[in-house]
Amino acid sequence: MQLARVKGTVVSTHKSPSMEGQRLLLLERVEPAGLAGKGDFVVAVDAVGANSGEIVFYVTGSSARMTEATKGKPSDATIIAIVDQIEKDGTLTYSKGQEA
Amino acid sequence: MTLARVSGTVVGTVRADGLPDARYLLVEDCDQAGKGRGEFLVALDLVGAARDQLVLLTQGSSCRWTDGTADRPMDTLVVAIVDAIDQGGRYVWKQV
Repeated sequence: MQLARVKGTVVSTHKSPSMEGQRLLLLERVEPAGLAGKGDFVVAVDAVGANSGEIVFYVTGSSARMTEATKGKPSDATIIAIVDQIEKDGTLTYSKGQEA
Repeated sequence: MTLARVSGTVVGTVRADGLPDARYLLVEDCDQAGKGRGEFLVALDLVGAARDQLVLLTQGSSCRWTDGTADRPMDTLVVAIVDAIDQGGRYVWKQV
């Protein structure tokens, strides 16, 4: 799974019926230490109700179809968790709501 | 499978993984001697790995071939803790 920050939403009106009702978010992959953006963006289906600015992790490939929200749907990237805390080498590098 | 070093933990309470007791680790992709490559992943821990241990990672749809993760949205698993790696008759990694 990859760590990313929610940077925004993706809207589409003309889409495959199988994609209807799916909430699409724009994610930027981040470094786990300083949570700096890597300039690497991906669009993912939101299975957890994540909001802009939050740190999440997402699954890719066929595993992206295995959430309640994406079962049988053509998703290849699905957010499966909103991150509360990241600990790296014994230090808390991220704590939700404590960001400067 | 690939080799990774455990560098920390990732905690999230709002999840869609269907796994109530999930423990997630922050792992760094590394070479056979345990040297990190600077690429980090979040992995589900199946073996109780600790920080700095060298572990074996399974990625992709194969992650769903364990009892606990069948039909779950998982694409990165820690499936083993590496005790030693012998490369050409010489230990390049030994768990301390």
